[in-house]
Amino acid sequence: MLVLLAGIFLLHLTGIILLLVATINNAWWVTDTISTDIWARWVWMNGAWNYTDLPDIHTYSEEYLQAVQASSVLACIFSILGLFVFVAQLFTLDKGRRFAFSGIFQLLACLCIMIAASIYTDRFHKNEANGWYGSSFILAWISFVLTFISCIIYFVLRKKTA
Amino acid sequence: MISLLTLASVVLLASVPQAESIVIYTGWERHALVGSDVRLSCSFFSWRWTSEDVTFSWSYRPDGAKDPISIFHYAGGSPYLDNKGPFHDRLEFVGNPARRDGSIIIRNLDFSDNGTFTCDAKNPPDIVGRPSSVRLLVFEKVPVQAGVITGAIIGVVLGLLVLVVVIYYLMRFLVARRVFTLSVSKKKGKGKEGSQQKQGAPPSAEQQARLKASADKKKQESLADRIGIRGQGGSGPGSQEGIKASANDHRAGAHQAAPGSASSTHRPGTPPGTPVPPVPPDPQTHPPLTEERRRRRGGGGEEERRRRRRRRKRNEE
Repeated sequence: MLVLLAGIFLLHLTGIILLLVATINNAWWVTDTISTDIWARWVWMNGAWNYTDLPDIHTYSEEYLQAVQASSVLACIFSILGLFVFVAQLFTLDKGRRFAFSGIFQLLACLCIMIAASIYTDRFHKNEANGWYGSSFILAWISFVLTFISCIIYFVLRKKTA
Repeated sequence: MISLLTLASVVLLASVPQAESIVIYTGWERHALVGSDVRLSCSFFSWRWTSEDVTFSWSYRPDGAKDPISIFHYAGGSPYLDNKGPFHDRLEFVGNPARRDGSIIIRNLDFSDNGTFTCDAKNPPDIVGRPSSVRLLVFEKVPVQAGVITGAIIGVVLGLLVLVVVIYYLMRFLVARRVFTLSVSKKKGKGKEGSQQKQGAPPSAEQQARLKASADKKKQESLADRIGIRGQGGSGPGSQEGIKASANDHRAGAHQAAPGSASSTHRPGTPPGTPVPPVPPDPQTHPPLTEERRRRRGGGGEEERRRRRRRRKRNEE
């Protein structure tokens, strides 16, 4: 029982860490010289990486970018809140009841990161051939899967002992 | 004391000339759409009163040019607008020099109006000061400021979450309170009705005694119901409680016998004081539960029914 609990906790924690890394790290789209992101852009110039602003609004869809920013931040927030709610429910839930509240938070986090990753996939870098999706992008999708699994577990799990 | 005051005033007066420089405020940057109007505001702060010879002057330096040109001047109580330069017929003075405001409006903007506008104000004798500049940016489409949409989405979602949680707990609290007040009012109502019944009935001792006796009997009965042994033999503890119940019934029977009333449900009573024989309740003298209850109900009235219902509810809880 304790092992199961530790496993669930670790899964949730891993989801949080991956979400945070995906949101903060600037590696959603990578080419040979730039490593760009939802916040700013790293450009390799003269042998050093330079932190620059994202390009002009007309070519870079500012509104969609801000939507991606907002939903990835929200996913992080919901996941962290869900962890606290889970720990609280561990101690206060009646025997035999499900961890519905933490499941809801994880579900919201899952939805938000899915929205963020989907918008980014659909709206950005559609015509650029010389580049590939970076590590943060992949981590965003992986954290979507992890939070989804976590949410299912919370909705299925029942409290065994008081 | 006085010397201290003079010293302080001297120090203050000495420091005033250094503070006596005019400070001019304009915006930092202004964004506008092509074809629209923009208001460039300019005001100043000065330790002196606003003099009649206050002057405002605006100059414009296009993006990429080296030197500014003067486009507006206010002096001696009247404004002088640009009538030859790039802004002629497009400039308007909307400031109020008496209120230290020297703002201008430029109408019908174009992309060539991108540049830096500098405002210089003088308030004689307060003339030492730095002019302040505002950058004008003309857009085809006004851009969204960085982070506005992000902040809005995050704020709205979190706000909705907090609202949902608050409403949930509020509904739970309200429902609980309603249930509580309902139960309290029910109790009060029962108490009132019981007393009303007692008062309404003709004040004959017999009837009152009968009511009281039937009430007591019902109490004992429901107590026995709870224990659950009435009329059915049973194992050791059951029989003991059966004895207890019969003892109580005997006592109730004694109560009934005392005032001399004769109710149909009255058990063949033993005179008070005789030892209670350990006899299980006799099915013949003691008719089955339901009939008695029904009879009692007809006799006792609503009050007894409600009391029993309340007790049953308490049992379930």
